[in-house]
Amino acid sequence: MDKETKLKIKIADASASRYIENNRFTIQSLAQQLDIEPSVIFGHFPNRSAILDYFYESRLLLFAEDLKQIKGYSDFSLSEKMSNLFYLLIDQFQQHREFVLLTYKERILSPNCSSGFQKTFVRSLEEIFSADVQISSTASLCKGRFLYQSIFCHFHGLILFWMNDQSQNYVNSMALIDKWCSLIEEIYYSKIIDRGFDFTKFLFYQSPFSKMISKS
Amino acid sequence: METFPSTKYQRGKIFAKTGFKVGKNYAEHYLKSLALGKKNKSELHRKTAEDVFGEFTKLRGTALKIAQSFSIDQGFLPTEFSEVMTKAQYKVPPINKSLVRAIIKQELGKFPEFLFNDFDPEAIAAASIGQVHKATLKNGKKIAIKIQYPGVRETIASDIALARTLFKSILPRGSEVDPYIDEVKTTLLLETDYISEGESINRFHKRFSNEKVITPEWIPELSTERVLTMSFVDGVHLDEFLTGNPAQPEKDHYGQIFWDFFHNQIKDRDEVHADTHPGNFLFTPDGKLGVIDFGCVKKFPEDFFINYLRLLPTHLNRDEKAILELYNRLEVLKDNPETNAKEKEFYEFCKHYGFTFAMPYLDDSFDFGDNEYKDLIRNYTRNAPVTTEPRGNKHFIYTTRVHLGLYHFLMKLGAKISTVQSKELLEEVLTEFA
Ligand SMILES: Nc1ncnc2c1ncn2[C@@H]1O[C@H](COP(=O)(O)OP(=O)(O)OP(=O)(O)O)[C@@H](O)[C@H]1O
Repeated sequence: MDKETKLKIKIADASASRYIENNRFTIQSLAQQLDIEPSVIFGHFPNRSAILDYFYESRLLLFAEDLKQIKGYSDFSLSEKMSNLFYLLIDQFQQHREFVLLTYKERILSPNCSSGFQKTFVRSLEEIFSADVQISSTASLCKGRFLYQSIFCHFHGLILFWMNDQSQNYVNSMALIDKWCSLIEEIYYSKIIDRGFDFTKFLFYQSPFSKMISKS
Repeated sequence: METFPSTKYQRGKIFAKTGFKVGKNYAEHYLKSLALGKKNKSELHRKTAEDVFGEFTKLRGTALKIAQSFSIDQGFLPTEFSEVMTKAQYKVPPINKSLVRAIIKQELGKFPEFLFNDFDPEAIAAASIGQVHKATLKNGKKIAIKIQYPGVRETIASDIALARTLFKSILPRGSEVDPYIDEVKTTLLLETDYISEGESINRFHKRFSNEKVITPEWIPELSTERVLTMSFVDGVHLDEFLTGNPAQPEKDHYGQIFWDFFHNQIKDRDEVHADTHPGNFLFTPDGKLGVIDFGCVKKFPEDFFINYLRLLPTHLNRDEKAILELYNRLEVLKDNPETNAKEKEFYEFCKHYGFTFAMPYLDDSFDFGDNEYKDLIRNYTRNAPVTTEPRGNKHFIYTTRVHLGLYHFLMKLGAKISTVQSKELLEEVLTEFA
């Protein structure tokens, strides 16, 4: 990761912390906290909102960075790769949980947001799916925009579930990600029946989506 | 305990000296009478077993584990049921590599690459509610890390509820399964707390790690409720040990350690390792017995424990009055066998099975490799009268599991062991409480 990106991420992290204290913080106060000139910040971001958006986008850059640490990543299965993406994002979000709770809906979910997060997210998915050789030939026809969009929607579901997750250390969110990614993999590797049942049972007891819908 | 004829428990007189041959005839004779007219029932049970089993496999979870706890050793489900049951291993889905990383990060704060010198992303073994990985610490020490599948604790309650319904649907109306299921539920929930398991590991390490037995050491800095880190115990499981065609003295060596380990646990009248299945014992290259998995340790109420141990000499002495009295104390009987025919049948079975079970304590040594004895035990479990309802104090679930587990292990190993020391030990405990 280059120096410039690192600096930008540092600014984004600091702004997430500032935001919790005061959601109308000034660039000046942010610069002061970081011990840099405001012009440095303006050199990278036009305004405060752009910094907050970049917070989300940069989580995916951190994800890409983390991939380099993982030994044997290329041997991961589809569901391992996909769940890895979700876990790392959740892990990132968790470190700024309060900020995410306050801003996710407005910055990522709202239909009129033009998010760099979404574009980068879809690109990450594309990489995951196109590198996979096991996907059955019929299923591979379904790859593409529609697939990535729908996974992105499910991702929102997972995040909303995580936001409301009362379980210790968010174990239920982790279990849900696991089951959900396995399900996607089973569909794509065409072995749906078994895991489908497990998943259904889990949904039955945790009913994340019903919680999600009622609360969002 | 006042009314119990304590004079029976005088040191040195506790164990009868009937001799193995006489004892075997006694046990065999009863079996023959029992086996007559059994066959027709068996088909029916198999059918029920398969039906219910189908339901259970769909659940995969805790329910299956409960069924296993209740299986053969508990003796209240038809053998056919337990046979089908034991074929299925209770399993949670394997934890994939991403999830393993994520759990470690979540629980220990860092990804494995930063915590360990070396971490094997492939599990070395499946555990009942998670899996075990091998790793090396920065200081070079080899460790085993048990990782729990997320959300297991949360699903236990719902799985138990399902199991309860299923059991009630196959057992006769009015059977009292609840205390048993509750007991299993408590145990299962405790098994999901790896901190408590870590503490047990420590206590057992203090009590039992010696020149013959090795147990892991807990590494609390790298452990949480859902991740358990401990020292790695090198060794092979029973099956692998047997494929190497070990010589008889070698089998006897390990068998003796195993037998003595079991009885030494009784000596302290403290906790016992309550999960005696082959996966939890290792044959180490330096001739020790490795004991792992302290997720299920039990301390029985003293009253129950002593009465349980009394079953051994009392059966061997064939003292009907004392046996009846013990059965009543241990809630084995529901009615007077003299006036209730069904109860009589059950009583007769228990009396003979109990005798057979106590046979290793007849002489000063016992050969668990003896095929006739294996047949006896097998036939008794197979021909258990189908009460299809739980009997006996709820703690039986674990004492029988441990005790029968010990026998099955030694029979499979084919070890000949000396019982002198163990009998002395039992006499000591029983005289103290006479
Ligand atoms: N300290 C250790 N050293 C070496 N191997 C270990 C160690 N701990 C666990 N294992 C391996 O992992 C397997 C499963 O571990 P363990 O028995 O503790 O899990 P469990 O969840 O309690 O499983 P179960 O309930 O089926 O006994 C063991 O059979 C053994 O092969």
